[in-house]
Amino acid sequence: MPTPDIVRALLLELGLAALLLLVFAANLGLRGADRRVVGWIATGGVLVLGFTSFLVAPAPAALGGMFVQDGLAIFAKRLFLGATLIGLLASLGEPEVAFARRAGEYHLLLLSSLLGMLVLASARDVILLFVAFELMSIPLYVLAGFLKRRDEAVEAALKFFLVGSVSSAVMAYGLSFVYGAARSTDLAKVAQAAASGQPLVTLGLLAAFAGFAFKIAAFPFHMWVPDTYEAASTPFVAWLSVAPKAAGFVALFRVYFEGAGERAAAWIPVAAGLATLTIVAGNLMALPQQNTKRLLAYSGIAHIGYMLVGFAAASASGVAMVLFYLVAYVFGNMGAFLVVEAVARTEGSESTAALRGLAQRSPLLALAMLLFLLSLGGVPFVAGFWAKLYVFWAAATVGLYWLVLLGAVLTVVALFYYLLVAKRMYIEPPERTGRVRLSPTLAAAVLLCVAGVLVLGVYPKPLVMAALRVAAPLF
Amino acid sequence: MSTLWLIPALPLAGALLNVLFGNLIGRWAHWIAVPALAGSFLASCAVFARVWDGGSFTSTLFAWIVAGDFETSVVAHVDQLTAVMLLVVTGVGALIHLYSAGYMHDDPGYARYFAYLNLFVFSMTMLVLAGDFLLLYVFWEAVGLCSYLLIGFWYTRPAAAQAGKKAFVVNRVGDFGFGLGVMWLWSALGTLEYRAVFKGVETLSPATATGIALLLFMGACGKSAQLPLHTWLPDAMEGPTPVSALIHAATMVTAGVYMVARSHALFERSGTALEVVAWVGAATAIFAATIGLVQTDIKRVLAYSTVSQLGYMFAAVGLGAYAAGIFHLVTHAFFKALLFLGAGSVIHGMGGEQDLRKMGGLAPRMVTTTITMTIGAAGLAGVPFLAGFFSKDEILAVAFHGQRVMWAILLLGAFLTAFYTFRLLFLAFFGAPRMSKDAAHHVHEAPAVMTLPLTVLAALTVVAGLAVGIPSEHGTPFARFLGPVFPVRGGEHSGFVAYMLVILSVVVVAAGITLAWFVYMSTPVRAEAVGRPRTPLHALLLNAYYVDRLYDAAVVRPLLALSGVLARAFDLGVIDGLVNGLGRAVVAGAVALRRLQTGYVVNYALTMLAGAVVVLAFLLSR
Repeated sequence: MPTPDIVRALLLELGLAALLLLVFAANLGLRGADRRVVGWIATGGVLVLGFTSFLVAPAPAALGGMFVQDGLAIFAKRLFLGATLIGLLASLGEPEVAFARRAGEYHLLLLSSLLGMLVLASARDVILLFVAFELMSIPLYVLAGFLKRRDEAVEAALKFFLVGSVSSAVMAYGLSFVYGAARSTDLAKVAQAAASGQPLVTLGLLAAFAGFAFKIAAFPFHMWVPDTYEAASTPFVAWLSVAPKAAGFVALFRVYFEGAGERAAAWIPVAAGLATLTIVAGNLMALPQQNTKRLLAYSGIAHIGYMLVGFAAASASGVAMVLFYLVAYVFGNMGAFLVVEAVARTEGSESTAALRGLAQRSPLLALAMLLFLLSLGGVPFVAGFWAKLYVFWAAATVGLYWLVLLGAVLTVVALFYYLLVAKRMYIEPPERTGRVRLSPTLAAAVLLCVAGVLVLGVYPKPLVMAALRVAAPLF
Repeated sequence: MSTLWLIPALPLAGALLNVLFGNLIGRWAHWIAVPALAGSFLASCAVFARVWDGGSFTSTLFAWIVAGDFETSVVAHVDQLTAVMLLVVTGVGALIHLYSAGYMHDDPGYARYFAYLNLFVFSMTMLVLAGDFLLLYVFWEAVGLCSYLLIGFWYTRPAAAQAGKKAFVVNRVGDFGFGLGVMWLWSALGTLEYRAVFKGVETLSPATATGIALLLFMGACGKSAQLPLHTWLPDAMEGPTPVSALIHAATMVTAGVYMVARSHALFERSGTALEVVAWVGAATAIFAATIGLVQTDIKRVLAYSTVSQLGYMFAAVGLGAYAAGIFHLVTHAFFKALLFLGAGSVIHGMGGEQDLRKMGGLAPRMVTTTITMTIGAAGLAGVPFLAGFFSKDEILAVAFHGQRVMWAILLLGAFLTAFYTFRLLFLAFFGAPRMSKDAAHHVHEAPAVMTLPLTVLAALTVVAGLAVGIPSEHGTPFARFLGPVFPVRGGEHSGFVAYMLVILSVVVVAAGITLAWFVYMSTPVRAEAVGRPRTPLHALLLNAYYVDRLYDAAVVRPLLALSGVLARAFDLGVIDGLVNGLGRAVVAGAVALRRLQTGYVVNYALTMLAGAVVVLAFLLSR
């Protein structure tokens, strides 16, 4: 008998499950080759859930403590729903035939993955965490190969699947050690066992770390990223580049920080080391890229490195600043991908050369792209500046000055390749004339991203306060 | 809910609208800018009513940067001084906005002009509202930026662009000191918030207080065009005339006076700094007045007059008569804005002519302008019962009781002021016309949208002194209103001495006007006789004591030479070499790293495994 308490705690998940069924039924009911209505249903549903998520209040733990609806979970769910809304809006106008004919498949998979994320954000149990993780991951593999007539897409999906399986295996292996030592799947008990310094728990958590690192694409677990991003459809990639990574970070906070107290500091060296490698490698490898999606893929890896800087602070403010960074990253990174998509739809090319002279052809679109690039580069008064400042600040308060210095230096490298793209748009002459046409939904998605980048850039305070509020109870 | 935030928000919104949609708005820009200012003025009135009974309050306008314990908020501090300044800025500002709708009517940059003008009023109200030195500094720079933009508004004219640049650079010199002063204040007291600072100045040693106060005053010298940083203001007349009225006469240039009055606790702690302020002010007053005697450009006469009158204000605050300084600031805002707008009306009516030598006899053709200008000139000269009479005599009385030498200087300045003001008036409006027949034919009165602000400002010039400036045993009503901010001084206005002082200054003013009459009215003026150096002294004055040439030779040229050397040898060789080398190293690293991405899934899994092993080994080895 479900009590109202459970319904309250699981409201968003239940709603999403109902939406899944609705999409499924609609897809069955539809006839003909154009099933894009399904996409509208899914988008509308996610919009409603997004609004609902702002009405949801923290609820007591449900399912015997396995499922918590606390501030962090709600914050993360809002982020997932928001990112998904932008991603769905952008894919609505996809001209590719597959998106019309197989709209049901696309949206079902995407929403399933979203369900995995929502559950993951609330999971306080190793088993539930792992199941949610897989529920999130497996649809991603399929979606990566959604354009199955493209050889590269299939190849990338297969690679993604193979290395993803390896990482899942390593994670499951590590978690089995954790269970063996802690004798419980409850993360609270695991935290106690880890706090008592049992080496097997540490070993297991470390192995699991490799699995998480794969999901967030930290160096050297990042290899799947460029290939997958380049081959898969861009609106999906825009979403893939932010939502699952945010989910990965939330899971990291749950497993490694929640209830760990002082022991959380044990993860500082690992996180700081990974952050260093990821920032350096991501930024350097982004430099020579000529394909904008590949460039954004590598720069995205570097951003994960910056978020790991906040993680390495192993403090409530560090966690809060990573959360802020994630939100800023959602707007900046998704926006940049969507502009690439808009240009690719008219130009048929995703290389940086396709952006030549964009400022003369579509000044507003070029301005939007410039804002996204500046935000990603961390220039003041757009969202990314505060994001970087805040994670650096969090790391500096725990004494990681060398890491801050390194991150700041590599920011200059990042600005170099971002501004190269800006140079193509603003200084180089266009190869063709005529405006770049955007479908209304894609334009709406870009506009949402612009608004996010600007509002957070000018007035970051409310979000920072919210992030600090939800991060505080972790420690 | 307070309406305080509306005061800066409305002009800011107007500026943003005109910037973003200037192309669409075009000729309608004033329908945004003028109501924004009117609303801002009404909100200022509401704020004025709130502090009427002597209270003061602070209000957080915007909580901006938050990083843990570090929080920066935009906090406004409102007391009687703030309220007076707000009324002047938004009130005179609204009139000048209205006037601009007529004056700038045919300008292609109409929307841009109003965007800048609104942006200026936003910055100026924020400067006045600021509750701490950091915010003051931010908007101190912001008004400087607006001034730069508006001086160089006609940027296709080389002279305008040059003047804008000069204003900016000269202001930077002062602001450099101002910035240092703010930093020193922070390191000495650990706070920049007004009330905490003024409470904390007692703990400063007089030497520290002097250092900080003089650095701050350096900024005031730049902004308010005092010696030796006065050179930019006459050149700033290249901007549109309403801009000269608003920024370079009524409001921005008085920011220095406001700042010194606001920080009077700090300056008093030093003592020396106050003396420096007073003497710099007095010296500037007489220095600029002498230059004003011989200028032939109508706006440059007014510009030197502004520099001179600002000197009077500094002399007053330097002598500790803050209320008198602020009162002169207010009355000066009225009559100097009036004079500038009147000059603008003349320039407008004569199709862009600014040379006094080519004017004369305008009175019958520009009746409203002539009457209002005459009131403004009488107000500036200090003719009895007009605003300037009360505010200037207040300063002279203070000086008489404080510093006799300074009093003598300022009295001489009053004589010169009366002379150059009426010289301008006689040359422009009376006597025989000296322009060509063709030009005389085109002279016309300005439209109502321009004469209405003139009339209002003339009325204010007439009533402001009588309304709040009549001294009594307990100071003027104006000073009593500012009582919560500045302690009221009294006693200087009683008895025989006070009457004698008033009579003396009236005599001096009458002498100045009479002399002007004899020189420029009793005999017909020959255009070629005015403005041609006849004696070495005359040449010295015409060239403004050669200060500009001195700066050019002593500062500008050596600096340019040095920067040329640095740019070629050091920057290209050392800095660029380093940067390019670093860049090459980074690219080489990128190429090497790129080889990792082989495309083989086996390699991917292997790297992941290697990574996991390294992480494990690292943690276990500890």
